[in-house]
Amino acid sequence: MRGIVFANTLRTSWKQVLYWGLGLGILGFYIDFIASSSDIIQGYADLLASMPPALLQAFGASSVELLRSSEGWIVSVFVSEAAIFLSVFAVMAGMNITANDEQSGVMDVIMSLPIARSTYLLERWIGYAAIGLGILLLCAAITLLGLVLFGVDAQMDLVFISILNLYPGALLVMTVTGLLALVARRRAFALGLSAAFVVASYVFNLIGGAASGAIADLMQGLSFFSYTQGEEIVLGNYDPASTLLLLLVVLVGFALSARMFISRDIGV
Amino acid sequence: MASATVIEISSLSKTYGSGSQQTAALRNLNLSVNQGEIFGYLGPNGAGKTTTIRMLLDLIRPSSGSASIFGMDVRDHSVEIHKRVGFLPGELSLWEGRTGQQIIHYVASVRGDTKGITKQADELAKRLQLDTSKRVRDLSSGNKRKLGLVLAMMHSPDLLILDEPTNGLDPLVQQTFHEMMDEFRDKGKTVFLSSHILSEVQAICDRAGILRDGDLKAVESIEKLMNVEFHWVDVQFRDVVPEGLARQLQQASAISHVDVNGSRVKMRLVGDFDPLLRMLGDGYVKDLRVEEPSLEEIFLAYYSDGTEVR
Repeated sequence: MRGIVFANTLRTSWKQVLYWGLGLGILGFYIDFIASSSDIIQGYADLLASMPPALLQAFGASSVELLRSSEGWIVSVFVSEAAIFLSVFAVMAGMNITANDEQSGVMDVIMSLPIARSTYLLERWIGYAAIGLGILLLCAAITLLGLVLFGVDAQMDLVFISILNLYPGALLVMTVTGLLALVARRRAFALGLSAAFVVASYVFNLIGGAASGAIADLMQGLSFFSYTQGEEIVLGNYDPASTLLLLLVVLVGFALSARMFISRDIGV
Repeated sequence: MASATVIEISSLSKTYGSGSQQTAALRNLNLSVNQGEIFGYLGPNGAGKTTTIRMLLDLIRPSSGSASIFGMDVRDHSVEIHKRVGFLPGELSLWEGRTGQQIIHYVASVRGDTKGITKQADELAKRLQLDTSKRVRDLSSGNKRKLGLVLAMMHSPDLLILDEPTNGLDPLVQQTFHEMMDEFRDKGKTVFLSSHILSEVQAICDRAGILRDGDLKAVESIEKLMNVEFHWVDVQFRDVVPEGLARQLQQASAISHVDVNGSRVKMRLVGDFDPLLRMLGDGYVKDLRVEEPSLEEIFLAYYSDGTEVR
């Protein structure tokens, strides 16, 4: 039966939308509160302006001018932090696609049922992708509510799109984690590899953004964080090619996962 | 009329690892299981029973050879085959936080007939005295096993593949399980059952295969296995065992395992009884009992030095 695994994934994991969405939303709400004071924003921007660009990058912003607008402040501070937290969710979701059930032995029961491996993998993936989207939508709703309640003068559509723009990166981390779990076969090992992937991406983006030159550009190019364009959306420089590239990697990662899952032994 | 072949295994082998770390879990297995029979797959831990079952269910892939169920290749038609198969793993793992009912409902949904299957599941649970409202984490290992049996049987499969099905079940439930297997066979359905409990195989199976270190050593009907040409003979004399009889018995080529205890002598006899009866002539035999070897003894004989009993 089509959609049963997807529905079951949602039924068993919907609380994650609540927990993660609320958690991230409260963070956005808090950032909104700070953004309601233009003095704080300007003071923060002035402080960063006195720092070297590398340090500015470490604070999650590439431009001081961006920080002077409410939506720029929210996107630079909140969205960059949310991207890290969302990566943690994505790693956990990636492990949940197959690795946790395989490690526990439940996969033997599932795969003895009349369901093709490819269908199972696809429905699990879509299930956790839907949960990730739910988290972002709940987070965006709470953040936008904060803007209204605190009377922040910000372009709400830009904030909303910037938050949703975290989605392709989260899908990428989830897919890469799922693939690593299928390749590594050991849950703990796969978890370590995925964590290393996220941390390395973050560090590459940080160092690549702060430094200049070919190596720095390469480092930044290798980091999926550099393709999430929250700031570019606010600045009006959004390049859809970056998002498409992330989605292409997701597609390739899923295709490799499906190939691996279909051809390999289960639970060995 | 010959029964249709339900399981057909041809030259099936499985090796794990690679290079010098390579281990053969199963070697060149050839086996057929017919419709309407309960086939016992015997062997100690690590013999290759679970490996065979996992290949039949397409959970793992053979290194060489092939297997088919209902005439369909287990790799190419796994979804079609799984519609008609019920499976109980040896080490059953289920979603710990979910209740039996929730799991039954989910599995029934995947099987595509929630209403009919859950009704059947309720009847099976009642018969096995299983409370399906409890969470899996709150179930004892025996009750978890019962839930596994319900999940395997609730869609009335044509073939049941059970890996050590009675592990952890109390004797009363084991009896119910045996009855269920008999009823299952009476409906013309087939059971492939792995076990290391020989009495169980002896009690419910029609045929048994004995597996050792990845090699199938023998496949015989239970009736035939029980009909091997050795017997345990227990002779009770009125007085003490006649002098010299013990030595005479020990020297006889057809007699072994001679155990003299007061007025009683116990031995294993291969072949005809006449030579023994002639040797006993000097004493007054009060009682003479002949016991068929148990499947366990046959099994141990197969395993003792690799030589077959017959």
